[in-house]
Amino acid sequence: MSNDTLPAESAAPSAQPAKQEKPASLWSDAWYDLRHNKVFIIASIMVSLFVAVSAFPGLFDTVGVAPVTCQLAESRQGISAAHWFGTDNLGCDVYSRVMHGARVSIVVGFVSAVVTGLVGGALGLLAGFYGRWVDVILSRVAEIFFAIPSILGALLILSIIGRDNAGITSVVLALAILAWPMILRIMRAAVITAKHQDYVVAARALGASPGRIMVRHILPNAVAPVIVVSTINLGAFIAGEAALSFLGVGIQSPQISWGLMIADARNRFLEAPLPLLFPALFLSLTILSVVMLGDAVRDALDPKLR
Amino acid sequence: MGRFVIRRLLQAIPVLLGTTFLIFAIVYALPGDPIQALAGERRVDPILAATLREQFHLNDPLIVRYGYYLRDIVSGNFGTTFRGLPVSTIFEGKFAVTLKLATTALLFEAVIGIGLGLWAALRRGRWEDKAILAFTLLLVSIPTLVSGFVLQLVLGVQLKTSLGIAFFPVAGVQDGIRSYLLPGFVLATVSIAYLTRLTRTSLMETLRADYVRTAVAKGMPRSRVLGRHALRNSLIPLVTYLGADLGALMGGAVITETIFNLPGIGQQLFTSVYLRENPVVVGIVTVLVLIYIVANLVVDLLYAVLDPRIRYE
Amino acid sequence: MRVTKGAQIVAGTALLALAVAACGGGGESSGTGSTAGAGGAAGAVRVEIAEPQHDLIPGNTTETSGAEVLNALFVGLVDYDAEKKPYNRVAESIESPDATTWTIKLKDGYKWHNGEPVVAQNFVDSWNYTANGANAQEGNYFFGSVKGYDEMNPGEGKTPTATTLAGLKVVDDKTFTVELKNPFSGFPTMLGYTAFYGLPKAAFESEGKLKADFGGNPVGNGPFKISKPWKRGTDQTISTVRNEEFMEGKAKIEAVDFKIYTDLNTAYNDLRAGNLDIMDQLPAEQIASAKQEFGERYIEQPSSGIGYIGFPIKSGADYAKNKDIRKAVSMAIDRKTITETVFSGTRVPADDFISPVVPGYRQGACGETCNYDPAKAKELFTSAGGPSMGAIELGYNADGGHKEWIEAVANNLRTNLGVEVTPKPVEKFATILDDLGAKKWQGAFRMAWIMDYPSPENYLRPQFGTGGSSNYSGFESKEFDDLVTQGDAAKTLDEGLPFYQKADDLVLEELPYIPVYFYQTNGAYSANVKNVKIDPFERIDLFNVEKA
Repeated sequence: MSNDTLPAESAAPSAQPAKQEKPASLWSDAWYDLRHNKVFIIASIMVSLFVAVSAFPGLFDTVGVAPVTCQLAESRQGISAAHWFGTDNLGCDVYSRVMHGARVSIVVGFVSAVVTGLVGGALGLLAGFYGRWVDVILSRVAEIFFAIPSILGALLILSIIGRDNAGITSVVLALAILAWPMILRIMRAAVITAKHQDYVVAARALGASPGRIMVRHILPNAVAPVIVVSTINLGAFIAGEAALSFLGVGIQSPQISWGLMIADARNRFLEAPLPLLFPALFLSLTILSVVMLGDAVRDALDPKLR
Repeated sequence: MGRFVIRRLLQAIPVLLGTTFLIFAIVYALPGDPIQALAGERRVDPILAATLREQFHLNDPLIVRYGYYLRDIVSGNFGTTFRGLPVSTIFEGKFAVTLKLATTALLFEAVIGIGLGLWAALRRGRWEDKAILAFTLLLVSIPTLVSGFVLQLVLGVQLKTSLGIAFFPVAGVQDGIRSYLLPGFVLATVSIAYLTRLTRTSLMETLRADYVRTAVAKGMPRSRVLGRHALRNSLIPLVTYLGADLGALMGGAVITETIFNLPGIGQQLFTSVYLRENPVVVGIVTVLVLIYIVANLVVDLLYAVLDPRIRYE
Repeated sequence: MRVTKGAQIVAGTALLALAVAACGGGGESSGTGSTAGAGGAAGAVRVEIAEPQHDLIPGNTTETSGAEVLNALFVGLVDYDAEKKPYNRVAESIESPDATTWTIKLKDGYKWHNGEPVVAQNFVDSWNYTANGANAQEGNYFFGSVKGYDEMNPGEGKTPTATTLAGLKVVDDKTFTVELKNPFSGFPTMLGYTAFYGLPKAAFESEGKLKADFGGNPVGNGPFKISKPWKRGTDQTISTVRNEEFMEGKAKIEAVDFKIYTDLNTAYNDLRAGNLDIMDQLPAEQIASAKQEFGERYIEQPSSGIGYIGFPIKSGADYAKNKDIRKAVSMAIDRKTITETVFSGTRVPADDFISPVVPGYRQGACGETCNYDPAKAKELFTSAGGPSMGAIELGYNADGGHKEWIEAVANNLRTNLGVEVTPKPVEKFATILDDLGAKKWQGAFRMAWIMDYPSPENYLRPQFGTGGSSNYSGFESKEFDDLVTQGDAAKTLDEGLPFYQKADDLVLEELPYIPVYFYQTNGAYSANVKNVKIDPFERIDLFNVEKA
């Protein structure tokens, strides 16, 4: 089970770049693939839509979310022409709140997932590739952060940063600071597996620089698990943001987020399920589009699929 | 391998010191008076407060208090809570409950997560794959609180009241292993989503690897290819995740423990942070770090078992 | 003085992620049940409690769960009838010529569980122990009105000059006298509460020193006794059996197990599944279904709690200092809709500073101030200069399930007054209290009060008296203080009522707090039991509970 010729072949064109033309690098190949991938196109449209909603929620809502539009007398109503998604316990329009809640949730989810993915991924790559003392230091530092349960730790951090600074940035920071060690472990595991593959050994024998080996040969083969975990992390971060807001240290009213809506509605979800179901549905759709996007990118990056 | 293990265990000492100091400093820096926290919504009696401050060294600077704490730990004393309960009493039993809960959850995770991931990978692009994707998204976006409450209501209450089947206890730990089934599953839900996706991706990668194609080409039976070659090599990211998740399950089970009234460590940690009970918080986190370190060490040892090309270094 | 009680009330709209933290004062969470597990005798009546915050020592118990258990193990000098009036239980008579020196005579025949007779010295010992600051008992403040208290508790940094209350004197085995610092005709109403229980000789290791294991294995004088020593932090069940020698006769049920829960929803599911018999507080979101499911076995009655919105009227923001603005805010709150929707009818609109459960409450005492009148509110708000005073801040603790009603009030104010409102959650209530104490809190804040004893005085002086132990608004009025003192000095409680009510009117006029809702007790019990009654302290009368 040795002749690992395929990757060597796929690496070949990029190894002898024709300087005059655009080099057909792994990354540009991937881009070409993506543009012709149906899943990628659908997912991109969905993501763009979510981004548009979070950038300009006012364009999408029906009655606005100014709290004065909430009528306590209309509490816990079902779906109607006036309230497409019904109303919540305080009589606020769920549809408008879902539109306005997108911003905080999507920003917190994306930014935290990307930050932890990049930081954890980079450190995991180094730890796995170099091993020895680099691994010892990075892995042990990760362990120090590891033992603090994430929501609890984030709660503590936000309590210290202070309730006056409670904003998206602090929330992202608090969530990300305890989540990168997991990515480090995952990336490190994948790198450790990949670096013993024959094509890496071959590249090394050919005298490729460590940086080149890492980026060209190991990364594309080790990035898949990190993408998978990060896409689900995105959902977990959105839920985490809710838990923190709920504990009084995260985003606060009158700001809205999906997570907060879910948290607020959960006590009465048997009586009034709509205020919980709709934000949960949009949360699912967001993760779905990101998962699809992640799969497509991963497939495009995989040289074995060519 | 022996030297590798010993080296890793020695490295645990600075990690332990680092974590305990980190958490000690965080709890120390929290705003709010621990003595007032003790009294809740009533204003605390100044005499009582002064006595307690003295007793718990609350007037000393951080580093001195950390010193006192380390001294006590070395002499085997985990300290007492502000309400006079020894921390060791709190540990007694509570870690056992949480460990049982986390292990149950880990088993659910491994079996359901890897099983579904495997199925999805083999049925890639078909309706089964899509249904599994939808299911995992559901697991991620429905909060544990809701899934826990619904399962408790349906399987715990309604199954008993309408059909007379009292298999799943509603709450408590009095029914042995049955007490842990529902909470274990609920605790595992989000992790099941991670593992399912991770298994699917990982397996699909290996299924495309040359040695698998070679094995198939050689005419090896499909099941044997899967078990012997594909799955085994896909396991590395999965055991990494499982190992890292054990600690998260133990420390982060507060909601599950609360819904099912399980007296575990997650709840205790939350309460103690709320009450600013440094000795309890640090004590629990110390034990959690130890569990992490051991779990990660075992996982690192497993790498070489799963892939003979990997060596300890 | 209790501002609010612990988990039970807080958990009215308990939010689960916080249910642990929400134990008001925060309980040590429940212990391992593996040992206690199902616990107790088969056929025991099972009662829901949260974990008591301390060992089972009467003087150290000011939260409802511990009080519930102690109520089964002990009987006090007095108890309360359906009208919340005290009647004598261990006491034969409680009399005073001047409302200052009280002579308490005990009935014959009460015995401690270990066989000791109940004597006057038992009460004096117990009260001295609790009143001693060095013992750090939660119930210490209950004795603040007794002569000699200040010598035992001179304040921070000073050395106490006494270890016993000078005002307590044993006359003979069955008689003792209590001398108060000031006349207080409502004194007998205080005596039914947990902190005033006696303690047997066997409780003490030496004079003034309690045995270390007493709190886990208390010896009481009540209808039930501990059947298995309780380990706090470990055992999830407190098991008791009937006291066959109880002086008033045998209880109708053989045993009671108190089961410790951290979340009301969990307990409620156990109740529905038949694993629990009595709950004296239900989760608000289950009330509608509970009414249907339990029918006659559903209990709804007024409780002593009042929820307010308070203002730092001396040190706060401009709007907090302005009486008319406070009145406008009060008139802009739609109490009826809030109690009906947000609280699902588990609270009722408040219209007085004195709770309906105590004598002296007057329906509608608040007048138009507590009536929902958006037009008038807006007019008053504008004429008082409200629009130029900036956003109104509404502080609340995020751990107690207050978010919804605070948001609802905020929406009311935004809509009706056109003012910007910022709800401001903090991690826990103590933060607000600290800031108020340091005069740093500028905005409005939520507040609540549960009585210590059923007297109107308890709703007035601690919260609004000059130097009151829980005076967070900064309200001060000599006239008010004098009226309350006059009420205390009246010969009987009834004669004192007009004075308390006049004092009440002064507070209603100045409005440092806005009364928003009265709490209610919502309980339910299984088909296994009947004749379940809950007293104003939310304690179940287990002595009279029967098996169905």
